[in-house]
Amino acid sequence: MVSRRGFLAGGAAAAASGAVGIAAGAAGASLAAEADLETFAASRQAEFYGPHQSGIELDIQAVTNMVAFDIKESVTKADMLRWMRLLTDDIARLTAGEPVLADPAPELAIGAARFTAYVGFGPSLFSKLGLEAQMPEGFAELPAFGVDQLQERYSAGDVLIHIAADDPVVLAHGTRGLVRDSMPFASVRWVQPGFAHSPGMIPAGLTHRNLMGQVDGTANPELGSSDFDSVVWINDGPEWIKGGTLLVFRRIAMQLDTWDQLGTPSKEEVIGRKLSNGAPLTGERETDVPDLGARHPNGLLVIPEFAHIRRAAPQESGERIFRRPFSYDNGMNERGSMDVGLLWTAYQRDISKQYLPIQRRLEQLDLLNQWTVPIGSAVFAIPGGVQGSELLAEALFS
Amino acid sequence: MRKISLLFLTIPLLLTGCASTGGVVAEDLWVKSSEMSMQGGMTAVYGTLTNNTQQDVVLVGGETEIAGVVEVHEMTMIGGEMKMQEIDGGLTIPAGMSIVLEPGGNHLMLMMLTDDLEAGEEISVTFDFDGAEDITVDGIVAKPAEGGDEDYHSGEMEMDN
Ligand code: HEM
Ligand SMILES: [Cu+2]
Repeated sequence: MVSRRGFLAGGAAAAASGAVGIAAGAAGASLAAEADLETFAASRQAEFYGPHQSGIELDIQAVTNMVAFDIKESVTKADMLRWMRLLTDDIARLTAGEPVLADPAPELAIGAARFTAYVGFGPSLFSKLGLEAQMPEGFAELPAFGVDQLQERYSAGDVLIHIAADDPVVLAHGTRGLVRDSMPFASVRWVQPGFAHSPGMIPAGLTHRNLMGQVDGTANPELGSSDFDSVVWINDGPEWIKGGTLLVFRRIAMQLDTWDQLGTPSKEEVIGRKLSNGAPLTGERETDVPDLGARHPNGLLVIPEFAHIRRAAPQESGERIFRRPFSYDNGMNERGSMDVGLLWTAYQRDISKQYLPIQRRLEQLDLLNQWTVPIGSAVFAIPGGVQGSELLAEALFS
Repeated sequence: MRKISLLFLTIPLLLTGCASTGGVVAEDLWVKSSEMSMQGGMTAVYGTLTNNTQQDVVLVGGETEIAGVVEVHEMTMIGGEMKMQEIDGGLTIPAGMSIVLEPGGNHLMLMMLTDDLEAGEEISVTFDFDGAEDITVDGIVAKPAEGGDEDYHSGEMEMDN
């Protein structure tokens, strides 16, 4: 049993970077020496410092918590900056696999496990703080859509902290630290947990599957590409949003009971892609480009008029988004119907020019709407990354 | 009745970095922001102090703009309850060792606060040592934490922190 109350060898203390990290790190190091416990999943680290916040341009992690807050009535810009000071330090430490300062359970910092957390701000925050002039271009509350069945408990919010990691314990521990440091400033409006595959489950770079069974994410801009930069990262406008992006979050329920009544060919026509490997119905491999003009010998379109990818494909250049949806599983009712779906996220430079025209088309026609229902919705502007000794969103709140 | 457990770690020497540079090094300092850390109230500073000298060093007190009184405190059992009280003669950091100041344990007590100390604010604190140079640390951030278990014991005066 390691007591943190007493003395620690000076050398070890000087080497480790956290007071609590000393004890936890030292104990971890000696354990690891005994039994090589540093697994690949534990040791993989995301990058905190850089032009962008982390957890967006990154292969999706295993588990996530999206936590939305409403600020307390008296909160000012100066208070927001104090909150951001705490979060900046916390997220930097957690991303490195270290406990936060004043962590009551530092022993839970068992590895970085690609922990990430980014912070975003809803339109309501800008109006509460009188910061409307700082709103980025193309950022506003979404209009109501015909398909919506939105619930308050999954929607809106002044501030978002979107946390993710490859391990549920690391996620829970990090979430606790970030929420603890948020409580002087805000109350929790909602928290929405989600998941994707565990690390090692599918080869790196391969597209994940959602709970409908579909390969989901194929047409996304490639991570690390200049295409990604031009779809996602903002490079003009107010200083604080440079290097940032705009998030559309939709909680979309899947009606799996009726979906599962469809045969494979029907399911594939709904999307326009094969269930087996995500290839378009006009191709063989996932990477094949869909041929939207191709017809069957009988004259019918191979990728039907109502197919999701036909409707979602850009009509004007620039109508593209980066999707990074986690699944959610919120239990089931007494008849065994599962309450599942997507924490669907789309990142872009301009919501009005990128997400909105796509959603308008899907609202008018998309057979997938028969089995998917948006029940939560929110938009957040995500400030650029942190470099050196800067604070998150420092330019917005100082 | 101060409990100190010694911890001898078998960390390879190459991990030790700059352990031999002189003086006392403070790391991961933070100060508690709570419902008690209002003007006239109290709080405490926590973190790790490492004695990189060849002799024992004693933490005897400190100064900070935000507090009228700074004392070195320990937690101790008095009448079946954990209370905090000033450590007679200060807190010894043996040569080459570190001490951890933490909630529920030893801490640098700040009393008679001259201003409210709110979460996310930063303060500057000077640590006074016998046997080593005093050190001043800027940017010690106030972390929100519960008032805690530190019942103050000092003869006539009893307060919570
Ligand atoms: C539960 C809801 C949804 C499911 C299950 C779903 C599923 C899919 C699948 C399987 C694909 C094909 C593979 C891929 O490129 O990722 C796809 C493509 C796409 N989806 Fe969705 N989707 C959903 C909602 C939405 C929404 C709400 C939007 C936008 C408003 C959207 C926009 C897109 C776009 C832009 C593509 C790429 C189209 C292209 O090929 O250019 N999806 N989706
Ligand atoms: Cu005390």
